[in-house]
Parts: sequence; C-alpha cells; structure tokens
Amino acid sequence: MTVTVSLVSLVDDDDSVRESLPELLSHLNFAVRSFTTAEEFLASDSADQTRCLILDVVLPGMSGPDLQRELKRRGQKIPIVFISGFTDETFRNEMLAQGAVEYLFKPFSEAALLTAINAALGVS
Amino acid sequence: MNATNLCRRDDLGLTAAVRANEHASADDVTAELARMENLGPHLGDLVTAADGKPAPLQARQGPGEPALVWSGFGIAYIDAMIGGLIQQGRPLPALLNALCRLFDATVEGYSSSVLLLDRTRTRVQHAVGPGLPSNYSELLEGQSVSCASGGLQLDSNGGPAKAPAQDLKSCWSAPILSLTGEMLGIFVVYERAVNGPTSLYPALLQQFTHVASMAIERSRSEHTLRRTEALLAKALHLSSTGSFSWRVDSGEITWSDEIYRIFEFDPGVPLTLQLPCSRIHPDDLPRWYEMVDRIRNEGSDYEHEYRLLMPDHSVKYLHVVAHACRDQDGQLEYVGAVQDVSQRKLAEEALNKTRAELAHLSRVQSLGALTASIAHEVNQPLCAITNNATSCLRYLAMDPPNVERARKAVQRTVQDGNRAADVITRLRALFKKKDTTTESVQLNEIAREVIALSFGELRRSRVIVKSELADDLPPVFGDRVQLQQVILNLLLNARDAMTGVHDRPRQLLISCVRDADDRIRLSVRDAGVGFASQQALEKLFEPFYSTKSGGMGIGLAISRSIVESHHGKLWATRNEGHGATFTFSIPRAGARARAACKVTALGMPALTDAIHT
Repeated sequence: MTVTVSLVSLVDDDDSVRESLPELLSHLNFAVRSFTTAEEFLASDSADQTRCLILDVVLPGMSGPDLQRELKRRGQKIPIVFISGFTDETFRNEMLAQGAVEYLFKPFSEAALLTAINAALGVS
Repeated sequence: MNATNLCRRDDLGLTAAVRANEHASADDVTAELARMENLGPHLGDLVTAADGKPAPLQARQGPGEPALVWSGFGIAYIDAMIGGLIQQGRPLPALLNALCRLFDATVEGYSSSVLLLDRTRTRVQHAVGPGLPSNYSELLEGQSVSCASGGLQLDSNGGPAKAPAQDLKSCWSAPILSLTGEMLGIFVVYERAVNGPTSLYPALLQQFTHVASMAIERSRSEHTLRRTEALLAKALHLSSTGSFSWRVDSGEITWSDEIYRIFEFDPGVPLTLQLPCSRIHPDDLPRWYEMVDRIRNEGSDYEHEYRLLMPDHSVKYLHVVAHACRDQDGQLEYVGAVQDVSQRKLAEEALNKTRAELAHLSRVQSLGALTASIAHEVNQPLCAITNNATSCLRYLAMDPPNVERARKAVQRTVQDGNRAADVITRLRALFKKKDTTTESVQLNEIAREVIALSFGELRRSRVIVKSELADDLPPVFGDRVQLQQVILNLLLNARDAMTGVHDRPRQLLISCVRDADDRIRLSVRDAGVGFASQQALEKLFEPFYSTKSGGMGIGLAISRSIVESHHGKLWATRNEGHGATFTFSIPRAGARARAACKVTALGMPALTDAIHT
C-alpha cells in the first residue's frame, strides 16, 4: 500500500510547541515543516506544497488571522487548523466562520489533532 | 503742711512700708491706702497755690521747688503703691480702683475713673470709679469711644460728658497708651467745680495714665502668661507629651507629671535611670542602653523611639526628642520631651491595613485583566507536555521500544512542566495577600519579572515592548510585590492607552536608570492617544477617576500611594510626539538605611526621616 505523505506546516513562535508538535506529527505519518513567524512561512516555498497549515493565533508581526487573510488574498486555499493558548470561544467561532477548518485550544489531544488534520485533508 | 513735710512723710510712711518689704501683705497695702486717703486734703494743699486753685506745675519747676518734689513723690508713691499690689497678684479692677483712690486722695474735689476698652478698642468694656456713683460702670459699659483730632473724646451720646452725678461739673480724659502706643483705656477725671483744664492736669494725668498703663499691661501679660501656661499644660496633656531633664554627671532626673502618667508611676517615686528600665519593652531595652551610653559620651541631641510593656501587658509606643545643653559649670544636661504615640501608631496600623487591602483589591483587578494571557502562558507548556508525553508513549509502544527517544521526550516534558510552574510562581506572589515586607530589591529585576508576566498580554494587544534597563543599579528598599504591582499597572495602562492606535507602532518603552539625585527612576512611555493637558494627566491620579469603561479608577491612586510609602514620587508627563510617560523614582537603599532600621525596629514608619536625611 502506498501512502502519500502530506506536508503539514506549523507556524508557532513558542519553542516548546515547535519542538514537540512536529515529532508527534511525524508519528502520525505527516511530513512537517516548522516556522516561527507568518512572514517566514510566506517567504518559503512551502506555501505551495502545504496540505494543512497548523497556525498559532498570536504571533510576533503578522498574526495567525492576518496570515489567513493574506493567503485568501493571494488565492491560496490552504486548509487552516488554528491552535491557541487563548481559550476564547467567541474568537474561535469567528475564525471558524472565516473558513478555518478547526480551532484547537492548547493543550489538545492527539486524537483531536488528528481529526482536525484529517478534516483539513478531506480524509474521512 | 509743706512739701518738705510731705516728702518726709513719704520717706517714713507708705513708700517705706511697701518698698522696704516686698512681701507686704494685701492688708498692709490696704491700710496704707486708707492712710493715704486721710492725707488727701493735705496733699491737695501741696499743689494748691495761694489763690486756692491748682497751680501750674511748670511755674514751680526748679531745684528744690515743691512741684518737683511733689512730682517725684507722686511717681515714687504711685509706683510703689500699685507695684506692691501688682506683685501680690491683685486683679486688675482692684489695681485700678486703688489708682483712682490715690488720685482722688491726691487732688481734692476730683473723682477719677478708668475705662477699659474691649478688643475692638471702640467700646467701653468696664469702668472703675471708686469715687463715683455705684452705677457708674453700668452707665458707661458698651458706650462707644472715638479718637478725634489727636485727643480722645467720648461720643456725644452719653459718656463722661454726661455727668454721672449732679455735683460733678467738669470732665477731662486722657488715653492710656501701651508702650507701643496701643490704646488700652481712658483715664477720666471729673471735677466738682466748673473749671477749665490748667497746665497741672496734663502732668498729673500723664503720671496716672502711665501707671495705669503699666498696671493694665502687667495684668494682661500675666493673664496671657497664665493662659499660655494653662494652654501649654492642656496641649501637653492632650498630646500625651511630657518633659524631662537629665543632668548626666549628677544623675539628677526630673519628670513632668505627664511622664509619670505615661509610665504609670506614682508622682514622687524617686527617679533613677533604672526606673524607666522596669517599664521598657525587653526587646527594646538593649537599644535603649546603647542609646544612653552613646549620648552620655557624645553629648549631642538625640531622638529615639521605644516601647513600654506595662504591668497589664499592654504596649505603649514612645517618641523621645532631647536637646543637649551645658550649664554655667559646663555640666551636660539633656532637656527633652517624651510623647506617647500609641494612638497614632494604632491609627497608622489601621491605615496601612486598609491601604494593603485596597492595594490587593487593585492588584487582583489588574491580574484579572491578565487572566487570558496567563492562561495562554500556562497552556503553551501544557500543550508541549501533552505532545511530548504522547510521543513518548508511541516510542515506548514501538517494538523494540525506542527508549532513547522516549527519554528525550520525557526530559522535554520535565522542562515544560517547570516552565508552567514558573508562571504560577510569579503569579502566586501577586495574588497572595500578605503584610508589607521591606527588603533590599533590584528595581530592574522586578521590572523584568513584570514584563515576563505581562509579555503575552502586551503581545496579544500588539504592543511592541522595548526595555532599557540599566544593569549596574543600586538596590532600593521596598516591598517587591507592591513595586511589581505599580509597574504592572503602568504597563497595562500603557497598553490600554494604545488600544485605539492603528496608524503607528504601539510602542512601549520601559526604562530604569539612576537619576541625578541618586534615585532609581523607572519610566513607562507609550505611543497612545495622550492627554489634552497636564491637568488632565494629573486627574488620573485621583481615586475613582477612570478614562476606561471597565476601570475602577484606583490603579494609579494606589500606585502613587505605594510609591510615596517608599519615599518616592510618581508623576506623568505628555510626550513630545504621541502618548504619555509615567515615571516613578525612589531613593536607593543606602540613602535611607537609618530610617529603614527604625522601620524594622518598631514596625512603624520612622517619625524622624526629615532629621536623618
């Protein structure tokens, strides 16, 4: 059986998260690339290849929602899963309404993450 | 009867009786006065010329002339007479009564009186006229007087012009002036004959008004002195202040009654240095001995605070100030005051408690604003912990288990656990309700802690934090938590001030430097909306004034009170460009070391800061 390894990109400025999450994603058979800022992600060539973007909300410089708008403006329809330490339901709903696939509150379970990524990849 | 006789009588008679014996009793003086009255007609003879009318004094002036003798006799006589009465502490009306009787006895056919004026110097308060009808005083009391054309006149409505008795035909008056020219009263003379004033009267009146003014002034100053003494005694009692003296070499100690009351000793208990020791709080006794040794050797002024432990186990707080002086023999003597400041101490404690509670309330409110950010700060490491632990489980589930990778995952888990704990530790201090503790602290270190705590919140509000914290700053004496609270409050205010800013970076600059006055100065500069005027900025420090909808308006008021309790200042200035800068400065630790020792010793703010710094 051939499995296509999907590229999942992570943008989070927290070192611990950027260290631990890719490791977990690799166990789940995803290829992962990590970025500290939204600007870094936009400047890379990953934007074109990313099948799912795991995106922190609060970032130095351009924020998560800013990046979401920018990608929309550029016509790049990358499914986004927001992850945030801010547990604000109203804001979560707002982001979902604007097209995010999921908005996970940190900390989240492996199962919740996998469900969200699968949803982003359109895997049932 | 001639002048020589009279003069001799003066020498042998009344003046001798009064002068020779300063302790002449009231009865002696009264007896002499009675004798004087009997001599009246003869005295009248002396100043009556051959034509039976009072002779002008000037006409008789010359060596050995009767008028001069009379004049000398008169002054000496009146002085001795009234002086004796004054010395006996007789009330003023009695003195003036005697004076009038002397006048009436001296010059036949005249009745004199003294009118005392009220405070406004426009009305008669009291009138003394022993030779006048008994209702004389009532007749004149409240009458208004006026000064006109250099001489004193009573109003045309009543007054001396209206004779108090049928047989009095003429009336003269002269002002009684103090040494400084202030009008004390009026000397009024009535004559039974209708006569114009002769040149005798000015001289006579001058003598009598002079003595009257002495009597009034003397009486007033004594009254004032007694009143002052009574007020002072009352004030000392009310303020629980006693005075003492201590002759260091002889060991002689004197206490005022109030000190006996403060120490709760019976007055008359023999005073030694050991006596107060039996009441001084055991914890303060070593310091007290140390102080006594020091001042015994140094001979300089001192100020000291200590506690008493009373037999009923209650505690009193005393404040002592003493001045060192040397007597004629060069012996060292301390004169000082002891004040029981227990009430103030209790009030200060209550105030400090209230202030601490309010500060805590305000702190909790500030932290409330941080709740989301703090949750975020904790959720970050928690997220990493969950991820690492999940990875670890997977490594262990492998066949064979990848123990090395699992170990690394656990190590990261431990690190993240510690990181989460750090956030909680920082917070716990701020949420904790505890008494103020003063210690030596680094202000820039405190600033870094607060920046760390609020960093997430500031970043979430898109505030760019820039810090310029000097590294070589001396420490300050203060309460770490309270100072954190002040800085946190300034940072959150700066954030709020920039919420509506979209056209420029939301830049916040926090700086900490040592200023020219050797104080540590911390500033928080924002690029916010700013303020229209300096007055608008000052208003921010008023309690319950807020420019924010959710604000209680106590943050800055509390912050200022905290800074002031650290002997510092907190103020705000408008920036050249956008926004405002809030700055506080507090003295470095060494500058107030002595005062701070006092705080520790008694747990109360030093009363003597002004003296020591």
